[in-house]
Amino acid sequence: MNAIMSRWIDDSRLMGIVFLAPATLYIVLLVGLPFVTALLFSVSTATVGDASFNYVGLRNFANVWQTPAFRDALVNTFSFTVIAQICTIILANILAQLLTTPLPQRRSGRIGMWIARMLLILPWATPLSLSVVGWLWMFDSKYSPIDYIFRELALLGPGTVWGPANNLIWLGKPLLAKASIIFVHVWRMTPLATVILMAGLSSIPTDLLDQAEVDGSRYFRTLFQVKLPLIMPIMLISLLFGFIFTFGDLTVVYILTRGGPITHTLTLPMYSFLVGIDGGNLAQGAAVSLFIFPVLLLVAVVLLRTASRAEVR
Amino acid sequence: MKHRTIIALATCLLLPAQLAPAQGQVELSVLQWSHFVPEHDPWFDAWAADWGAQNGAGVRVDHINFQQIPQALAGAIDAGEGHSLIQLLTPGAAWVEGLHPLNDVNAAAAATFGERVSTCATASYLPVVDTWYSFALGYLPGPGNYQQGLWAAAGLPQGPTTWQELYETGRTIYAEAGVPLGLGLSPEVDSQAAVYSALWSFGGSVQDESEQVVLNSPETVAAVRFLAQMQREAMSAEVFGWTPASNNLALIAGEVSYIINPVSAYRSLQKIDPEAAADIHFTPALAGPEGAYAGTNGVLAYVIPRYVEGRELELAKKFLLDHAGDYGDAVEHSELYSFPCYPATATQLDAWLDHDPFGSQPADKLAVLKGAGEWTAYVGHPGPANPAVAQFFAENHLVNMVARVALGEVTAEDAVAEAHARAEAIFDAWHAKGLVGGGEGR
Repeated sequence: MNAIMSRWIDDSRLMGIVFLAPATLYIVLLVGLPFVTALLFSVSTATVGDASFNYVGLRNFANVWQTPAFRDALVNTFSFTVIAQICTIILANILAQLLTTPLPQRRSGRIGMWIARMLLILPWATPLSLSVVGWLWMFDSKYSPIDYIFRELALLGPGTVWGPANNLIWLGKPLLAKASIIFVHVWRMTPLATVILMAGLSSIPTDLLDQAEVDGSRYFRTLFQVKLPLIMPIMLISLLFGFIFTFGDLTVVYILTRGGPITHTLTLPMYSFLVGIDGGNLAQGAAVSLFIFPVLLLVAVVLLRTASRAEVR
Repeated sequence: MKHRTIIALATCLLLPAQLAPAQGQVELSVLQWSHFVPEHDPWFDAWAADWGAQNGAGVRVDHINFQQIPQALAGAIDAGEGHSLIQLLTPGAAWVEGLHPLNDVNAAAAATFGERVSTCATASYLPVVDTWYSFALGYLPGPGNYQQGLWAAAGLPQGPTTWQELYETGRTIYAEAGVPLGLGLSPEVDSQAAVYSALWSFGGSVQDESEQVVLNSPETVAAVRFLAQMQREAMSAEVFGWTPASNNLALIAGEVSYIINPVSAYRSLQKIDPEAAADIHFTPALAGPEGAYAGTNGVLAYVIPRYVEGRELELAKKFLLDHAGDYGDAVEHSELYSFPCYPATATQLDAWLDHDPFGSQPADKLAVLKGAGEWTAYVGHPGPANPAVAQFFAENHLVNMVARVALGEVTAEDAVAEAHARAEAIFDAWHAKGLVGGGEGR
């Protein structure tokens, strides 16, 4: 018995299969099956009341493509994701630099740094739906605390630069509503990106940094020509996470605007939900959601290949 | 300490046994949206428990936000298990294939309780398959709620009676007192109810009685142009970002002169500030060039998914009929927010409206709601609330086309033509599925 066990354990091919099996099963059950189901729905007449399969070819895709709301959703999804990721990666880099500076010698300084790091992760640790409800209140058209601060700073209200209205009406004006959605995505994703970048910065061998210092490299030269190139692979992974989370997010838009004003903040997941679940047309909803897939696949392939090349170099 | 621990443990073990239905007893589970008048739900839960005790069944009631009901129902049908009864607020015809036909329940109710408000029939019956897919017990009339002080100062103490008066006097009040009108133009149900009301009153509609799309009409264009102009001149931009609670909050805060909403905002204000509540008065549906209609803010309709079978199904149907029989209590405990689909089930309603038992000053201010069934209409009017109408509603096209014109993005003609094209596509898809009528002209 022991001999058999020993042979199995020594069989690297078998062990490889055994160790990979849980992850494979997980991907097949939780990613593969829903994806295939969505594919089947999208070429059928499935509704929320009857998911039976009647093949209709690409009719659902053509149908949604002709809808202006869909095209708005496509543009918004891209622009929100790209802008949010640019902002996130810049902010995360700044924060990661700050939070990886050598800890102050004094105890109070160390505690302060520890608290700062803990606070940083809070937006990521808080359940998204709860935190977005918080932002819904922050952006309230009448009682927004942000507007209150602006009024106190004499920036908003009669006779001020942004006046005469007492409120900016964050979610009622197209540009501000878009900015609000992007802001919440940035707020949400920055902690994760920062933590990933902090890990990357911590892994840079100190002798490289010492060498740069000896060679007379100042802060920004070290940052842009030593640190950032070295953490590029991990930064691209962070970007990939951020892109996928933002591109496929439903919660932020659902709670804040439901796609409004008009369709100015409508995204593909939100439109898919409105058509497929609220509207009951599961087939068209699936067709809308499948437009997300090739984009995410392409982004994942490009970013992972770039990260891999950067690592090899 | 040890004894306390043992007692606590024993209680924990015994309590579920007491709450759970007895061996062999059927359990009925009810999923419904949290009522907008909080006093209603405790009453309903107690009523359901009593009903269960009398009928030898365990009854469990779960309340969730009304916006989560569609996904809960879709999930339950897909999984083939879930609650026995699910209460809808928005149109439910899209689920018809996953639901038990309730023709027998509706026939029994008609035989027992007599005449039914037409809105409730529209929200429950799908003519193309001759199926009653839900059983509607109540509906939510959407009167105008206005601050009488402001409107009296502008020369209309009885409030506006027409859309034209709403626009002209509302604009004056906004200009002079700085208080805007509060009709939402956002993707949410109250905004939709207001826009549908204006559309029908101007003579437009999404479909006709035979379920043909007729949205692109001079009447619709006129309604859209009118609403857009009213938004620009008598409302603030915040209406583009409203949630279902926003008009209620704005009325309670005294920051709008007029909203279209059931009485829930007023009831909340009565509890917060009775003096301010005394200044809130009501108007029936506003008249437009082609009539006076108010879109209901919802119909309280129950559905029974197909996975419910046997004794559970029998009990679920009995539950519905018994609930309808006691609907007068539901109306009372909703503080006259929910109205009965079968007027005979709440015969006291007119007397309550003449003398509000919940302390209105003056006591007869809700009397304008008498006969609300005659001017209340449901999405799909003048046809049925078929799945295509429901999808068009869910995608918020009507509100969006008005908002786009109000923001100057397109002309009224273009906005209506675009929405009409989308409606055609939606109707065609559901017609191919056999759930929308109008075969001759399509």
